[in-house]
Amino acid sequence: MSVLGTIVGVVIPYIAGFIFVVGVIYRIFFWSRSVVPFKIPTTCGQQKSLPWLRRTWMDRFDSPYTNWETAVRMLMEVFLFRSLWKNVRYELPAQTAVSTKWLWLFALTFHWSLLIVLIRHFRFFLEPVPDFVNIIQNLDGFLEVHIGWLWFQLHVVHIMITGLTLLVALLYLLYRRLFMPRERSLSLPSDYVALILLLCVVITGLLMRYVISVDVAQVKELAQGLLSFHPPASPDLHWLFMLHLLFVSVLLAYFPFSKLMHSAGIFFSPTRNMPNNNRAVRHINPWNYPVKGVDWDEFYEEFKEDMEELEQMGYVVKPEEEV
Amino acid sequence: MQEEKFEEKEKIEIVQRFPSWKEILKPSTEMKKGFYSYAATLRDQEYLNLPFPREWSPLDEDWKLPENWKEILINKIDELRKKYRSFQVFMDICVRCGACADKCHYYIGTGDPKNMPVIRGELLRTIYRRYFTKTGKLFGEWAGARELTEDVIKEWYLYFYQCSECRRCSVFCPYGIDTAEITMLARELLNAIGISQRFSLISAAACVRTGNHLGLSPGGVVNSIRYAVDDIKEITGIDVEVPVNKKGAEILFVTPSGDYFAQPHWFTFIGYIMVFHELGLDYTFSTYAAEGGNFGFFHSFEVAKKINQKIYKEAKRLGVKWILGGECGHMWRVKHQYMATYADETYEDALKVLEEPVNPITGTVFENASSTKMVHILEFLADVLKHKKLKIDKSRNDHLVVTHHDSCNIARGMGLYEEPRFVIKSVCNHYYDMPDHAIREKSYCCGSGAGLLADELMELRMRGGMPRAMAVKYVHEKYGVNHLTAACAIDRAAFPTLLKFWRLPVQMGGITELVANAMIMKGEKERDTDLRGNPLGEYLEVEI
Repeated sequence: MSVLGTIVGVVIPYIAGFIFVVGVIYRIFFWSRSVVPFKIPTTCGQQKSLPWLRRTWMDRFDSPYTNWETAVRMLMEVFLFRSLWKNVRYELPAQTAVSTKWLWLFALTFHWSLLIVLIRHFRFFLEPVPDFVNIIQNLDGFLEVHIGWLWFQLHVVHIMITGLTLLVALLYLLYRRLFMPRERSLSLPSDYVALILLLCVVITGLLMRYVISVDVAQVKELAQGLLSFHPPASPDLHWLFMLHLLFVSVLLAYFPFSKLMHSAGIFFSPTRNMPNNNRAVRHINPWNYPVKGVDWDEFYEEFKEDMEELEQMGYVVKPEEEV
Repeated sequence: MQEEKFEEKEKIEIVQRFPSWKEILKPSTEMKKGFYSYAATLRDQEYLNLPFPREWSPLDEDWKLPENWKEILINKIDELRKKYRSFQVFMDICVRCGACADKCHYYIGTGDPKNMPVIRGELLRTIYRRYFTKTGKLFGEWAGARELTEDVIKEWYLYFYQCSECRRCSVFCPYGIDTAEITMLARELLNAIGISQRFSLISAAACVRTGNHLGLSPGGVVNSIRYAVDDIKEITGIDVEVPVNKKGAEILFVTPSGDYFAQPHWFTFIGYIMVFHELGLDYTFSTYAAEGGNFGFFHSFEVAKKINQKIYKEAKRLGVKWILGGECGHMWRVKHQYMATYADETYEDALKVLEEPVNPITGTVFENASSTKMVHILEFLADVLKHKKLKIDKSRNDHLVVTHHDSCNIARGMGLYEEPRFVIKSVCNHYYDMPDHAIREKSYCCGSGAGLLADELMELRMRGGMPRAMAVKYVHEKYGVNHLTAACAIDRAAFPTLLKFWRLPVQMGGITELVANAMIMKGEKERDTDLRGNPLGEYLEVEI
């Protein structure tokens, strides 16, 4: 077990972590290198024009004029999935559209659950465990006592809500791609890869929490060792944990090459991160170059007769005199 | 037997297909009548100095691509991803969540899976992955990558000219991926190997040469204005004088050229002139910058820039203080988001005469246009009406029950939602909005934008306009709406056909038309009809 333990517990996580960090930085560097020639926000609310025109708070964020309004728009996009919230579904043959928020609900549930689960994992890496991690842990486990007490008086089950919602949301996202005809058509194998990898990570994690107990002290020792670059020489942990770690490593290594980069990409999206103040603040295109068109003199030459006639009219068009 | 025209069909069917992902990776190249655009004429390609000009047709087996087309294209993709962060990021971050899938009016109307915005993007993304990502090179189609073949080019031509760049999908995308942006760059790529669409190039070439999309000579523009002042005299009995190319005017007025003679643009056109006359505005039309729109925008950066430069050049030559723009859709996407950025020294040069726009009638400073110096006619009219500078008799529009179509570009590319509503409500008593999913940022396209107004695309246009038509139908049945307004020249050209096809007894027109209808001019004669000659007072029954 010890050689395998070293490979799965130390070598692979380091390689994966390296690929992840370098890959993400490289992609972000690559994106920043390509320039933004035009200011092209998608304006989803009333623009700022005449001061007395109705412009609601939401308009200000959906069609931001200042930088802070743009920042709020980005924050709402990142934390509340503002655009998905608008989702409507076109119904045939009724030929009308109805509001639908399922995708928004499950996507938001997935991402928030993932974030909270990740924060809860800090307690494996940090000693002493920071307060905010403990607070989140306690809030998340808000239901644990009641359910555990009702269910099994002696055996207290720690129910962490986000772990379960994470699983449910992932299953829904997979269900969409498998059983909704439109979503199945547009899904590529890589879409399933991401979902299945995440499911593997989540399921092994949940198994450890609820079914097969793993020695947490040992896990913590390995996690802190890895983080401080002093890993144990040959970690010998439970196979379930090793499997969990392996899936996480694969996910990390896959991350920079995949659509999972959307998490960083959203910050680079020119239709969202630019203010709608185009006519007030000019945007400069760094690679702009002159293109020759027809100028006035050429134009005048080509239509000389017409232009002379207009000159004789004194540059004014009047109604015809009545006969 | 003569083939039945699509516009005259009694019944159409929408067949939704849900092929497997492998099926979707295969290029669809069937050039079905009503869905593919004609190829650009040799004359226009040569006039605009486009690469590899030649005669070709999408129906040909061989598109006569340049020998090293593949290399050109891959190099161009590499160039564009460095030039446009939007392109690079949109290629990388789509998660195919499917939120955009049923937001495209063409998808709704055709059921063709390749019209889902996400798949439209994938048409290009699959190639990007194959040549620019490690996973794509390694795993091929299992990583959603495919080889670049001539069939892929045909598929691009077919489907990137089935997108009206309306940006509706980008509203719903959690990352703001804008399929319009992808379409624009895909068209740029196609241009690099000599593939352009006829309709947009005809207009663009005409605009470069004559200063307007219709190819009217300066004399033609003057004649149109003359007809307009004649019409105004007939309707109101007032002699109106219109300055053209007048040096030293305060304001340069630029409008889409469709307004010069098309129906029902015409009534908006005479509406502008009536309102300016009544306000005593010191303005001028220009024959050199006679066009507000920019069909080059639907083709490539360079052609767009060629057309765009005229307005600032003309502003400088005439010495105007600021620029007022008429009712147009994509024109305002360009004027709002691109105009000052496209311009280089022409902008700096124009700044020598241009000033921050101030409404001479009300004294309002248009701070939101302080850099570009270009104000939208509806911002201007809203300001004028708010200050009660026009004498309005709302009851003159009582024969109309009005609803408003938010044109894609001024909605999602500018944010002009309240101005039109304020103006319409200031001059009409009966106004009703369409359902929420069909207005404001969620507005459905008329189905004919971005160069798709071509006659050969009739079936696509009528199908793509279906969601909009159904929303109009809803307010027609519920409130008796008989007049649809839109501040867009393409809308004014597209809607009469669309409303007729969907058998809706609703007429359509611009907003300034309604203002001019309700406006009481000094010294006007007794009026018993509106600008179109419809009797005032009684509810207007529109014939289908």
